[in-house]
Amino acid sequence: MNQHPAMWGHPMTPHQAFNAHTAFPLATPNPMRNQHASSPVSHTQQPLVTGTSVLGLKYKDGVMLAADNLASYGSLARFRDIQRLHPLGNHTCLAVSGDMSDYQYLKKELDGLLREEEALSLSDSHPALHPSQIYAFLANLFYARRSKVNPIWNAILVGGWDATKEESFLGYVDLLGTTYSSPTLATGFGSHIAQPLLREAFEKKAGIDGKGELLTAEEAEALLNECMKVLFYRDARSLNKYQIATVTKEGVQISESKSAETQWGFAEALRGYGAQQQ
Amino acid sequence: MFRNSYDSDNTTFSPQGKLHQVEYALEAVKQGSAAIGLRSATHAVLLTLKRSTGELATYQKKLIRIDDHVGVAIAGLTSDARVLSNFMRQQAMSSKMLYNRPIPVARVVQGIADRAQTNTQQYGRRPYGVGFLVIGRDETGPHLYEFSPSGTAFEYYAHSIGARSQSAKTYLEKNFESFESADLATLIQHGLSALHDTLQQDKHLSTSNTSIAIIGPPSDEVENLASSGAAKRGNFRVWENDDVDGLLRAWRRSRGEPEDGPKEDEPAAEPSAEQAQSAEGSEQAPEAPGEDVVMSE
Amino acid sequence: MSSIGTGYDLSVSTYSPDGRLFQVEYASKAVEAAGVAVGLRCSDGVVLGVERLLHSKLLVKGSNRRIQSVDDHIGMATAGLLADGKHLAERGRDEASNFRDTYAQPVTVQILSDRLSAYVQAYTCYGSVRPFGISTLVGGVDKTGSRLFCIEPSGVFYGYRATAVGKGRALARTELEKVLGKVDEAGEGSLTVRQGVLELARIIHLVHDDNKDKEFELELTWVCEESGNKHALVPADLLAEADAKGRAALEEGMEED
Repeated sequence: MNQHPAMWGHPMTPHQAFNAHTAFPLATPNPMRNQHASSPVSHTQQPLVTGTSVLGLKYKDGVMLAADNLASYGSLARFRDIQRLHPLGNHTCLAVSGDMSDYQYLKKELDGLLREEEALSLSDSHPALHPSQIYAFLANLFYARRSKVNPIWNAILVGGWDATKEESFLGYVDLLGTTYSSPTLATGFGSHIAQPLLREAFEKKAGIDGKGELLTAEEAEALLNECMKVLFYRDARSLNKYQIATVTKEGVQISESKSAETQWGFAEALRGYGAQQQ
Repeated sequence: MFRNSYDSDNTTFSPQGKLHQVEYALEAVKQGSAAIGLRSATHAVLLTLKRSTGELATYQKKLIRIDDHVGVAIAGLTSDARVLSNFMRQQAMSSKMLYNRPIPVARVVQGIADRAQTNTQQYGRRPYGVGFLVIGRDETGPHLYEFSPSGTAFEYYAHSIGARSQSAKTYLEKNFESFESADLATLIQHGLSALHDTLQQDKHLSTSNTSIAIIGPPSDEVENLASSGAAKRGNFRVWENDDVDGLLRAWRRSRGEPEDGPKEDEPAAEPSAEQAQSAEGSEQAPEAPGEDVVMSE
Repeated sequence: MSSIGTGYDLSVSTYSPDGRLFQVEYASKAVEAAGVAVGLRCSDGVVLGVERLLHSKLLVKGSNRRIQSVDDHIGMATAGLLADGKHLAERGRDEASNFRDTYAQPVTVQILSDRLSAYVQAYTCYGSVRPFGISTLVGGVDKTGSRLFCIEPSGVFYGYRATAVGKGRALARTELEKVLGKVDEAGEGSLTVRQGVLELARIIHLVHDDNKDKEFELELTWVCEESGNKHALVPADLLAEADAKGRAALEEGMEED
């Protein structure tokens, strides 16, 4: 299989012989390079170093987010100590999947915005941006960039506590500028694998309308642990080393990295993994 | 009118460290008719005295809505006010679009103050010739700010700008301590009393020259809520003409005056020097029309 | 004043025959009328204080602050034209964030002061602008420790252990010298920020002329460990304590006289 980043997700064609000496984009001349200025402009076509799914869950005292510590380079587990949870001010936290360099750009942008807000607040005592307002900003930013056909290649969860309304916040926004909100959220593969588990546990207690009692902190954390474990079993781009962020009225708290207990005994029975069976 | 050679442009300090052009701009504010602002723990209110340029002209409006939660009263050059209030509206919209946040009142005021400051520091420009009283309500409660051509914005419990505003200030200083806990009706009555003090002898507050703006929870005691959605939501709303009749009556009652007011609601015009060069027209119709907005330099 | 009426004092781009820039000197006059601003470096941080003169009793208490934040760790107090102070702080914030974007680290107080002073200086070079009518104290804590600088309308800036600008600055500086005179070479006897807060409050009360000046409010900010190394208002209880002690010290001093 061609492991070159430019070929991720593409089937190999017969004439694409493997060339060990190719380095993209220097060695193979880019046909776009020499064309006239009037030729089509191309921006980011794909993410490079990526983080996999992140999870979010509303519970009794606020919001919890979870993300593992892996930044992959294609299928290579390239960086295994990356924090993908980012606190913004006192009551907001991001959980970011997708392109890691775009994530770093976002961090810089948002930190700058919040720093200016804080500087101004010394003069007028106005409270900082609430989670929903940071989310609105992100949604605008993502949509504006995708409209320039130059997306910020991420899917993000914004979790937070609105100190004025005294309620928690959880929202999703992605590279297309798509936004939605729900008491349980997940991005990427997690939206297929973990979201049903999160929903099931959430609704079991709070009811389908979410009006019943919410999960306690212990229950919420146990649920996220379980989901992260399932994701580690099923998501080939995941790592069994993850962190959980908790946002309550007291503020943002991000846990140390931890791992789930896993059992791999069954793997012996898998063809291609254990001893060859036939 | 010769004063000295340090007053002809805005980039020159006088030996005393003053900027005469800025101080003259402050005089332009005093040419405008009065505006009063005051606030309680729950409400902020603006009251203005409108002028008309002639018998055939309407009374010049002095209250401008910026956003649901911000509005201004102006005194001075109306056209400068339109430029600045437009800028405030843009800032307010931008905050709403970008952050889904009603712009903090202090920031929208500081925005025009910063703009005004550059007009005091660069050659070939003139300071704005208008003063604002800005009321607004944000997460930190109701506010009243004064913006002035010198590029400053101060927050007040109560304040007045424009012609003869000193008389109103005297009234406000005497009474402002009770404003914090006052209800809307009382607040407006204090405002009307202060506004009344800016009138020339034998002039009166009437439904045609008085307008009132409110921000804060609605009160059916003083407002005709059926006619205003903004009022029902506690947003910035302006009451004038027939809608201030009830308020004026209540105010006269509280002063022990005849409820209908003086018989001659609009006594004969009596143009003064101040009126002839007034910025927003005179409180009464002057003989010479057309000098309502003095913009020529 | 000999400069008046000579015609050499109307533009900042004109020298007088003896080589002075009168417009810059006049700008300094705007500073002299303003309420005093004081800055003090302590062993564990920096304290800034201003005497906020109240030109009306209708002004909201505690509002209309004169000290501003430039970055997380840097504060700025100005004396002079208020609007000019806002302008320069805005520029300061731009410089600070620009520095972060370029170097991915917080700007030091010295570099920020250097850039701001260059900006102020530019306004003394052209006939199309006027100089800033403010003196500015820039204080903060960075990787080099606690720092304090003062930028004059001419664009010069110097570092200080403590300094004061505005009305009554001479008296304030004398007092600051007395306070710092007790510190020896090794820094023994130097003040903590909490002590510094009390000293600044005392000095501002001392400098304030009760008979001539309008009433004032005390405004104090600091950058220290207690504030998380961020530029922040001095906590309300400490401010009240400093205010009361400052006033008491003044009355005590009067009785002695």
